[in-house]
Amino acid sequence: MLASIIARFQTWRRHRLTAKRPWQDWEYLVLDIETSGLDAKQDHIISIGWVVIREGQIQLDSAQHLLLNGAQVEASVGIHLITDGDLEDHGRREQSVIRYLRLLLRDKVLVMHHAPLELSFLKAWWRQQQQASLTLHWLDTLAIERTKSLRASQPIQEGGFRLAPCRARYGLPEYQGHDALTDALATAELLLAQISYQGKDCRLHDLLQIGGGHTKFVAG
Amino acid sequence: MAAIDVSEVQKFLYSTPPFANLSSAQMASILNGMEVSYVRQGQTLTLAGAAATLHLIRRGACEIRTPNGALVDQIADGECFGVSSVLAQNPDGLEIVAMEDSLVYRFAKASFLQVFEQSEALRLFFEHTQHHRSRKLSRTQGSDINTPALQLSTPIEQVMTRQLIKATPEESVQIAAQRMTEARVSSILIVDAKEEHKPLVGIVTDRDLRSRVLALGITSELSLSEVMTCAPATLSPDSLVMQAQTLMSEYNIHHLPVVTGDGVPVGMVTAADLLRHQELSPILLINQIHRQTTVENLARVCQQWPTLIVNLILTDMKPADIGKVLAAVSDNLTRRLIELAIAKFGQPPFPFQFLVFGSQARKDQSLGSDQDNGLMLSSPPNAQQSEYFSALSNYVCEGLGACGIRLCPGNIMASNPDWRMTQEQWQQAFSNWITSAAPSALLNASIFFDIRCVYGDEKALTDLLKGMQKDIAKNSLFLVSLTRSALASKPPLGFFRHFLLESSGEHKHQLDLKHQGLALINDIARLYGVACQTYRVGTIPRLEQAIREKLISEDIARNLIDAWDELNGLRLEAQRRHWQAAGKASAYLDPSTLSPLERKHLKATFATIKEAQEIVLQRFARGYA
Repeated sequence: MLASIIARFQTWRRHRLTAKRPWQDWEYLVLDIETSGLDAKQDHIISIGWVVIREGQIQLDSAQHLLLNGAQVEASVGIHLITDGDLEDHGRREQSVIRYLRLLLRDKVLVMHHAPLELSFLKAWWRQQQQASLTLHWLDTLAIERTKSLRASQPIQEGGFRLAPCRARYGLPEYQGHDALTDALATAELLLAQISYQGKDCRLHDLLQIGGGHTKFVAG
Repeated sequence: MAAIDVSEVQKFLYSTPPFANLSSAQMASILNGMEVSYVRQGQTLTLAGAAATLHLIRRGACEIRTPNGALVDQIADGECFGVSSVLAQNPDGLEIVAMEDSLVYRFAKASFLQVFEQSEALRLFFEHTQHHRSRKLSRTQGSDINTPALQLSTPIEQVMTRQLIKATPEESVQIAAQRMTEARVSSILIVDAKEEHKPLVGIVTDRDLRSRVLALGITSELSLSEVMTCAPATLSPDSLVMQAQTLMSEYNIHHLPVVTGDGVPVGMVTAADLLRHQELSPILLINQIHRQTTVENLARVCQQWPTLIVNLILTDMKPADIGKVLAAVSDNLTRRLIELAIAKFGQPPFPFQFLVFGSQARKDQSLGSDQDNGLMLSSPPNAQQSEYFSALSNYVCEGLGACGIRLCPGNIMASNPDWRMTQEQWQQAFSNWITSAAPSALLNASIFFDIRCVYGDEKALTDLLKGMQKDIAKNSLFLVSLTRSALASKPPLGFFRHFLLESSGEHKHQLDLKHQGLALINDIARLYGVACQTYRVGTIPRLEQAIREKLISEDIARNLIDAWDELNGLRLEAQRRHWQAAGKASAYLDPSTLSPLERKHLKATFATIKEAQEIVLQRFARGYA
């Protein structure tokens, strides 16, 4: 009993300490998913794209773009231009994809644009696929942007928090594609830009405060 | 890990030279280990450690600077830095300063070098970039100590004298001395006449004659073989000015024969030649002009003129200052020709003024400018006097032509009787242009409103200008018409700020910097020039005068002056390149040879002209046009 309390305390302390290290000391997995709809209860993930930030640099080698099999092609397909054929050809077994992702996420901070939606899908998926539980830090570039605009008392118009207008505010280029990988890369670049505007000594802790949190993916 | 398949990154590389030429296998290798970073404006990147590799700007702008802050280059989207770091360990310690927030791709050094070895296109491109930057760098550093490195690297052939004065070893000291005096040279080459190809065997200089003959009281009947320096130090025709300098200081000599591989002398370089070359001096050219006594000799001296202009451009002199220097040279040349004409045809029957128009008047001539001039006579000539001025004018205009200032295609020259008038007639001519105010008449006449006197009493011209300004003040329609003709051409910016380029012919897809840019600013400045109380003739002085007289806002005027400087700089540079490559000056520029940053500047420059045109329209034509 005592031992488990001490162990939990130490874990907590370790998290507190590490959160105070400069942001570059951490690795980040920037992820975007394409889904068949907006409701995690009914809809499912069609494809996942991600890219890793290590030592403050986006590692293009780490880029992945995976289509999941079993995904039914529905209404949103028109937007993403994924066909049944693509799903057949490039589909991966969901089990292996999720195990791979779990491995990568173990020592990384998860980064998304508009976390609530993505997290709800990821959590639902985790339950479905019976994965071992995983706790992690996450960052939301949309939340960071919203906090910054509140702090600067510069309200941003409706629609101004979508990925493209956020990027435009930092002078980042416009991307034509909107597949999961392109959006993941776009989000990663946005995060670097946001961090560079946080000043020299930005820590992960600061980022978590303005647009992130700590969560647990629970097994089903 | 698997090859990177990030479509936005690949798409960008495939649209960027030189990566566009890579095969898909090479593309895959070069992308291996590539990283992306974001650099805040003002941040400095030292190209050390992991950063000692090639970088490509995806979006943004950076400056390449030396460790002590001197600017080497400005680069933007699609341009690379770190070239000398990846190819040569960054010997100059260059640093990168972000001028805008920038998204930067960083290549893994090993991947880049691997593809660099395979791809000829990549190799040529980056070696060129490296060379280009190191040249800019040497210019940056050179200007600190005021001896541009490029002068030292000029081939000796461009500097040496080709007219050689020779003698054989058997000839006497006296004969050699006579020959040297006749040719006004300070040394004589001794060649072996017994050999068929007549190789160089020695040299005798003024100093040798003094110290080895006269000082010792030796008879001048002595043969040259007894006093000459045998097997003197020589240069080969492909050596550089720098090597000549080194040799001269090493041996403490002032004469260096230039000989071919088998010893045949082909040229001679003296310390004075080197000095002359290095000074690049317009003063020297002007002095030489005043010493010449025939048109042929003037023409010969003026052959140096294009080289002088090219050198002035290469030394990064300000365009406005280059204009002043060239005006000084052409004014002096014109005066010398008039003096020679008077020496030939006799004193003029009465005083006259030699007027220049257009670019010579405005002092913005460049390579290949033509002549526009006329005579103003102090009284009406009789037939015989007309004859005299005709002869004089023909002599001067043809002389200018022979010296490289092209005849005017529109025949606005003193040699044309139409442009030899008395002061009253000139006054009348201006009056007609001003009161008739027909735009077509003005289009051809506008260069007459840029006018300067280079010979004769300036008072007459001042009176003429006063009368002209009085007429202009009385005829408000004149400024409206002059405005219309000034705005007949628009800067070459289309929708979305694309350049409108020549669509056909020799200059397809090129910008005409003179007629699409500079001339528009000259036209605007002329409007202010004639509207001002005080008449000025140059474009920049006119705009500055308009600021003083509060006819133009200081902002607009300064922007226009900057635009003029920028376009003139580009024109001079384009002309220099065409001149050195093809021997003729062309003011056409291919915008695709500019960096994105330069293109951005150029577009802003044209936008400035457009804005000024709208202001001019409001001010002088009250919006009618």
